[in-house]
Amino acid sequence: MSEASHRAQPPRRDFFEKVTGSAEFISDVVVPGMLQGRILRSTIPHGRIRNVDVSAALALPGVEAVLTGEDIAGLNNHWGLFLNDRPVIAIDRVRYVGEPVAVVVAVDERTAEDALDLIDVDYETLPFVTDAVEAMAEDAPVLHEKSETLKDFYFKGEAKPVPGTNIFQKYEYAHGDVERAFADAGRVFEDTFSFPMIFHYAMEPHCVVASFADGGLTLWSCGQAPTAIQKVLSRVFDLPLAKIRIITPYVGGGFGGKASVKIDPLVAAAAWKVGRPVRICLSISESMLTCRRLSASITVRTGVRADGTILGKAVRVVMNGGAYADTGPAVAIKAANRAIGPYHVPNLKLEAYAVYTNTVPGAAFRSIGGPQAVWASESQMDIIAGALGIDPVELRYRNMLKPGETVRPDLRPIDVDMAEALGQASQAMSRLDAAGPDAGLMKGVAVGASDPGIMAVAAVLVRLKIDGSVLVISNSVEIGQGIREVLRTFAAELLNQPAEAVYVMTPDTALAPFDWGTGASRSSVMMGMAIEDAAIDIRRQLADMAAAAFGVAAETVSLCPGGIVAGDRQWPFAELLHAHYGIDSGEVIGIGRISPHSRDGRLMQAPLFWETAAGMCGVELDEETGEVRVRRYVSVADVGRVLNRASAEGQDEGAAIQGLGHALSEELVYEDGQPVNASMIDYHVPTIDEVPEDFLTVLIESGTGPGPGGARGMGEGAILPVAPAIANALASRHGIRIRDLPLTPERVWRALQEKKAKP
Amino acid sequence: MLPHRFQYHRPDNLEQVFELLDRYGDDVAPYAGGTELLLALKARVLRYEHLVDLKRVPGLKGVCESDGQIVIGALSSHFSLATDPIVKRLVPAYAALSDNIANIRVRVSGTIGGNLCFAEPHADPPAMLAALGASLTLRGRDGQRRVAMADFIEGEFTTVRGPAEVLTEVRIPAPAASARYAYCSFGHLERPAVGIAAGYCPERGTPHYRIWAGAIAGRPAQLRSVEDALEGVPPDKLGDVLAEAASAAAQELPAHDDLQGSADYKRHLAAVLTRRAVEQAAGLQPRRKAA
Repeated sequence: MSEASHRAQPPRRDFFEKVTGSAEFISDVVVPGMLQGRILRSTIPHGRIRNVDVSAALALPGVEAVLTGEDIAGLNNHWGLFLNDRPVIAIDRVRYVGEPVAVVVAVDERTAEDALDLIDVDYETLPFVTDAVEAMAEDAPVLHEKSETLKDFYFKGEAKPVPGTNIFQKYEYAHGDVERAFADAGRVFEDTFSFPMIFHYAMEPHCVVASFADGGLTLWSCGQAPTAIQKVLSRVFDLPLAKIRIITPYVGGGFGGKASVKIDPLVAAAAWKVGRPVRICLSISESMLTCRRLSASITVRTGVRADGTILGKAVRVVMNGGAYADTGPAVAIKAANRAIGPYHVPNLKLEAYAVYTNTVPGAAFRSIGGPQAVWASESQMDIIAGALGIDPVELRYRNMLKPGETVRPDLRPIDVDMAEALGQASQAMSRLDAAGPDAGLMKGVAVGASDPGIMAVAAVLVRLKIDGSVLVISNSVEIGQGIREVLRTFAAELLNQPAEAVYVMTPDTALAPFDWGTGASRSSVMMGMAIEDAAIDIRRQLADMAAAAFGVAAETVSLCPGGIVAGDRQWPFAELLHAHYGIDSGEVIGIGRISPHSRDGRLMQAPLFWETAAGMCGVELDEETGEVRVRRYVSVADVGRVLNRASAEGQDEGAAIQGLGHALSEELVYEDGQPVNASMIDYHVPTIDEVPEDFLTVLIESGTGPGPGGARGMGEGAILPVAPAIANALASRHGIRIRDLPLTPERVWRALQEKKAKP
Repeated sequence: MLPHRFQYHRPDNLEQVFELLDRYGDDVAPYAGGTELLLALKARVLRYEHLVDLKRVPGLKGVCESDGQIVIGALSSHFSLATDPIVKRLVPAYAALSDNIANIRVRVSGTIGGNLCFAEPHADPPAMLAALGASLTLRGRDGQRRVAMADFIEGEFTTVRGPAEVLTEVRIPAPAASARYAYCSFGHLERPAVGIAAGYCPERGTPHYRIWAGAIAGRPAQLRSVEDALEGVPPDKLGDVLAEAASAAAQELPAHDDLQGSADYKRHLAAVLTRRAVEQAAGLQPRRKAA
């Protein structure tokens, strides 16, 4: 390991700002002349809009404009990432409860909200469908009559919709001959699991400020992918990319709910209509109507020999993608891949569908498709273990891939030692048990392996000033994960400067180079590599200057804190730059660019690295109420290298606790086409009271990642094993196998009742 | 979301409160802690043109003992009751209940009076106060009246409080030294799905029990059949009598399917919690931390 990671780390700079309240979040942004927008949302799941009467709303003092579908006829009024399926605002049809139908722009939020009550919408209702399997039926109402796919638009590849149906993505993959493997296998297990819609619950809801000026458009956005927003807006408003500027202050959490593009086109359209800057800040309840995790039904067939060796596996995933595709096509593919597990599967067949329904659009969410897939595959591993009389951990070891072996021959061989991670989890749980023995706890285990969908497209500017201060300019969004501190750490380390001298700028597409976005566990690795290259660029420039100014051999020049060193001679930056520029002022600009061709093409193969996790839980069950409490939890991940221990452990813990909510209580419920619990009053995310008393994160520093010092991405793995580990614990002790999430007390109690009824 | 505009009044005494309530009729609501009311206004489920803040009215906060009763000012916060020395000494189970309501922010601003008058069915205090035999003092321009807690809540979000009346105090008869109470509630969302309050009140050597079910229906319900079945049964003999009576009574409780659970599950919970609450009150098991 590099020494840098063992140096005492200064506290994260954003922590100080956040704790003292000086940090500017997106919802704090104020632009001169700014108006406030509020959104009128569809109250019906599916219907035609006959008429929207906004006259009374416009007559309310303080209301400046009302945007409706009629206004956007002259724009390129549909957008999307894979399919050009989403109107900027509902035009003549609504497809889910919560879809924006009108935006009132007024002098303040309350006036805008009051005006919403004055808008009269005349709907003609249409048949609706909220269940994905029902939406695939022949007589199901079709949500989108035509589909326009966008190839390589922002994600590599193209969705494969089935024309005339609600299926907007159909994905298939196979290697070997799975049916023959099943014929050869001693046992074939078939199990179907369901996973609900889950809300991201970022603490800060979606918020955007849009302003048209000087022939261009500026947005202060909460988006995790500023350049994706820039691209979509460029299409919608027919503006050059160079005239669209996206600024991203601190964002109060995203988890994928702010990935790619969300409310940005709508807010921009409101500003375009009224001709003044407009801010729209949603409530949490509105964010719940903006996007959610894709729910799924997953059927896993696995053929094994009597000794537990997996001979073949067939996975069928049906995902409920909601009213618009968003990034659902990618989610479906990833769900299929992530159902394989870190196991040797010689014969494999994957089939995944993403389907339109009259529900809130599905979207990326921490490890896209991963928790859904791992819930199914890792629950089934314990079913197999139980049926064959093999210890569940032993069954996993028997099938586990060794580093360098492949999950799929077309994917990068697995680059972590999963057996070590599982072993570390067992050891850590033993340590917890030794410290506080509690024989009553049931134990469960699960592992997960995911293939981050990382586009190797990133760049950074690093500006070394004459006084030795350093400014890092990138589009990596600080969303709570600590990326600004990571960039600071890398820049300090790679330029050999004190961390205190390095500053990281707020992302601004007008200044920062193109970057694919903040998500998929990519920023530390991609921007880290870009900073590596920028540092090389800076060193080269300084060396050339020193060679010319001081007559030293360029290749002997290296950086030292505050200056350069060549042999036994040392110069402060000021002396070198003064000599070079002739004045005591100036800077050196380093550029780091990463593309699929960087690093001799090694970044081309997917995934860039494997993100994995092993989880082990100690669970307590109240058999009378069905209440499950996780008392102990161990989370293990190989992160390559720990860049900031508090942040890294915090991300791992956060992912696991988010997974605990997925496991025990979270579910967006639909009845009669209506979301019935879309508020934080009726939708329960875990509180501190539900966090296990004993929680241990073990971070393995193998140094095997592609990032500087062997860093890998992290933060999305720990969410994977939680739900199946808990369900496996319940099965091991009580013989109940629950195949549907969440594991609510009632669901667990019913399983216990059924078990008692048929001994 | 933001509430509709409303006019905010902050009177200094009850006379002014009555005057405002009288003047604005259906357009006004008294405002105590706001933990229920403001949420409903923000969600635009409720709308009032006027709110009358009671927090400046003197004499509505605090706890005292008077004539064998614990007198609780209606504007006392749950937190203050959880930590009040009189409540902790005389009705420790009610202090414990108050300490477990919602979360610390709600406990600090939410008041017992607001909780009772809002009459959200998924609440903890009503069943407990009913079991304790509490009465409520309602004051209006023309005087005051006492209403038994058992009669105060009529159904979901409705009480017998008149539009121009203010709930000023809750009176709990100080339990006999030998009496013990317990409260057990359960729910996996923010609010309790079912809560059971139980009292063990021996009189001259004969055990009596008081048992009330809350949260499961629109108003608290007395489980008389269980009380009767247990009448005179000493704690060490409760055994199967309690389990059977609790199950039978729970089956009769009005319950419906909702996000908190199916009706049959909630009835099952009522039976379990009844047994636990009675056993706790009778000293048969240590108090469990309510979920």
